[in-house]
Amino acid sequence: MNEKIIKKFEEIVGVEFVSTRADVLLTYSQTASLAVEPVIPAAVVRPANTLEVSQILKLANQYKIPVTPRSGGSSLQGEAIPKPGGLVVDLLRLGGIKLYENLRSVTVGAGVTYGELDKFLKKHDLFLPVYPESALVCTVAGNIAVNGAGPGSSLFGCIGEMVLGLEVVLPDGSIIQTGSEANPNAPGPFIRYAFGPDITGLFIGSLGSFGIITKASMKTFKRMKFFDYNMYGFDTAAQAEQFLVEVKQNDINSLFASLYSGEVLDLFMDMLSEELGFPSFEYSNRTVSMTIGRVREDMMKSDAKLACEICEKLGGKVLGVSEMPQQEWEGRFWNFVRASYAHGWHWKILYHHQTPTNSHKSVDIIMEVMDKYRFLGHTAGFHSGHSSMNLYPHLYFDPQDKEEEKKVVEAHKEIAKKLFRSGAVPFKLAEFWKDAIEDMDGYMAFLRFLKNSIDPNNIMNLGVLGGI
Amino acid sequence: MSEIDLDELIENLLQCRRCGICRNAVFEDRGFDGVCPVWRNSSGFETSFMRGRIQVALALLDGTLEKTPENAEALFTCTLCGNCTEICAAEFDPTECLEKVRAVLSDIPNDVRDTIAEKIMQYDNPYEENNQIKRDWVKEVGFEVPSTGDLLYYTGCTAGIRLPNIAKSTAKILKAAGIDFAVLAEEPCCGSVMLRTGRVEDAKKNAEKLAEVIKNSGAKKILVTCAGCLKTLRLDFPKLGIELPEILHVTELLQEIIKENKLEVTSLEKGARVTYHDPCHLSRTAGVYESPREVLKAIPGVDLVEMETTRETAMCCGAGGGLRSYDAELSKKMAADRVKSAIDIDAEIIATACPFCENNLIAGAALIDSSIRIVDVVDLLAERLK
Repeated sequence: MNEKIIKKFEEIVGVEFVSTRADVLLTYSQTASLAVEPVIPAAVVRPANTLEVSQILKLANQYKIPVTPRSGGSSLQGEAIPKPGGLVVDLLRLGGIKLYENLRSVTVGAGVTYGELDKFLKKHDLFLPVYPESALVCTVAGNIAVNGAGPGSSLFGCIGEMVLGLEVVLPDGSIIQTGSEANPNAPGPFIRYAFGPDITGLFIGSLGSFGIITKASMKTFKRMKFFDYNMYGFDTAAQAEQFLVEVKQNDINSLFASLYSGEVLDLFMDMLSEELGFPSFEYSNRTVSMTIGRVREDMMKSDAKLACEICEKLGGKVLGVSEMPQQEWEGRFWNFVRASYAHGWHWKILYHHQTPTNSHKSVDIIMEVMDKYRFLGHTAGFHSGHSSMNLYPHLYFDPQDKEEEKKVVEAHKEIAKKLFRSGAVPFKLAEFWKDAIEDMDGYMAFLRFLKNSIDPNNIMNLGVLGGI
Repeated sequence: MSEIDLDELIENLLQCRRCGICRNAVFEDRGFDGVCPVWRNSSGFETSFMRGRIQVALALLDGTLEKTPENAEALFTCTLCGNCTEICAAEFDPTECLEKVRAVLSDIPNDVRDTIAEKIMQYDNPYEENNQIKRDWVKEVGFEVPSTGDLLYYTGCTAGIRLPNIAKSTAKILKAAGIDFAVLAEEPCCGSVMLRTGRVEDAKKNAEKLAEVIKNSGAKKILVTCAGCLKTLRLDFPKLGIELPEILHVTELLQEIIKENKLEVTSLEKGARVTYHDPCHLSRTAGVYESPREVLKAIPGVDLVEMETTRETAMCCGAGGGLRSYDAELSKKMAADRVKSAIDIDAEIIATACPFCENNLIAGAALIDSSIRIVDVVDLLAERLK
């Protein structure tokens, strides 16, 4: 990138917010994604608003400069690693929260984090009920770009389900608004499927390949006040999986339901039980930790009773342990982060969705590959919507052992292939899935067609969305 | 400082998994409303908060990044306030690591760091003043203060030279409580800034000199009014292998004095909303949160109100870690940001318990044309003594 272009970026955002310094570029060469090779970009810009983002993309498009959008930098699967000679657009300056109380919606700038939004909504007794595990640092808009999930997803699905509309700057710099707000006369965001096909959906999980989300309009809900926290033990995976199916089929308001195998609970209890105040208890081969949430107490109690009945009918045991699910829900901003970093290992993750009754397949595949490559790790999962489980294996490695890191990367590829064949689907269509996906030529060709149509100069986050 | 084990330091730095919580986490349950005040008040690139600083440190240590003053800037644009350590989910102390990195990489040229250290070595204070003026305030207290005694009031460079009111107020309160104390005839600097900026060998020499002077004073207890002096004498000197008598911050002693009803305190003429700014080295580092608040509450008419971030999660004023010298403009912007937090809650007075914080908060208030009063806890108390 030559000085003339840098100067133009400086004219757009101000000298203070453009950097080509070696130290700064180094820090943008990677994100929270571990075991991913860093790439030094040519420049970083920090725009303040949508107009500046638009001017930046116009210029990048004119000069065919590869662009990597970035906000929290907390993504885990290589979604925001720059390209050599490329430009990183850091979106954290795009703040602003606007509440539409009667429309039950809120609009946030691309730099607004979940923590910031939750504090704001709490004052109005509202919440956006899906919390990614990195909620303290990740932005809502960035999370939409990866279609994230976390506590709350068991009932409300992935974050994409909460989106009512997006403001997006396309690769050529033009600005579009999706959802009801596309109508300039609309009083605000109130429906997503407004003007023909779901254009909003095109950008959800797009990993920044089709444009930059600059504002997101989200559904809000009344904050729940009544919760039941319990754990349910089962001798077999099949029983536990069927329990999760029946929880859904009976409309039990499971806000967050996690499924743990015995050895993973062993690990978590070893690491954190004392710190988080978990009692020691007899857990089973498979244990479900579940938070039921309702805005009314009678409904919560009715759901809790039914969950116990279903558990016992399936041959399971109601464990009567509340501390762990309570910490999972009440401590949702902290405890997952803490669990990820309490041990000394670095890890590579492979988020994917399975059906509840296929969850054991993921566990078996991951354990088999970990045994083969002889490294440590774990996997657990949580209900992530209508009928899906989000599973998240952590493959551990020593960051100072490059051979081990290489082995983890190889194992990761192997797991992706096996998972795909087992019926799993990507949580995020990150780059590494391109070698795992088979017999989907038509779909991938269509995706490429879309990419080429929207971004003919191929400037936006090239190669990230399934390698496209 | 005991020898730094480089392998251990790198292992610790690699505990950072780059999650980024140390940037701007808003975590209401624990009182965080943002984390890094440098990120908030600068152009906000990744190098302006701990995640980026650690990446830069690792790259400088392994040679990926050339050891130039510009590339090392991220190591020094940090006040070492410790708010990132407070929230970090990993098993290491990023603030302590960064301080060690500064020491390990002290071969990278840094004029500001070196100039301060040289001034301290030459003048016994960082202000290039004749060090004897550090005791001039004693002439104004109206009674004799010996230079030896059981209780030694170690004034510190900023209270001694820049904000002598704090020293005079301390003397007035001690006198009123009937407590005898001494002030050194000539007081060497504690060397805090040398330790923070990586000049460890010089700091050690300076510490040995100070320890000798204190030993000769016969002190059995040392009283300080500066949070930086407290951290250095209480926590760093033992790591340098230097034993001193017990170190007390003045607010810790005052809490006891007040409990024992040794002071008669009159009411403020008009009630005032007072907020307390926690100095990082007194609060997060030394764990002293309640004593200064108890002192303030003992003044009738004080309506003590808390800022959005307070105690363990309080935002730094921007003065420490060598930043005030390294980048005065940034440091003052951070102070102005802290002053705005007090204005947001309609506070009329910001009380603090560190002359370095007071000095910078005054500069911050000036930057935004605020007339809010900024004062040390001891000044406020001394004004109300009968």
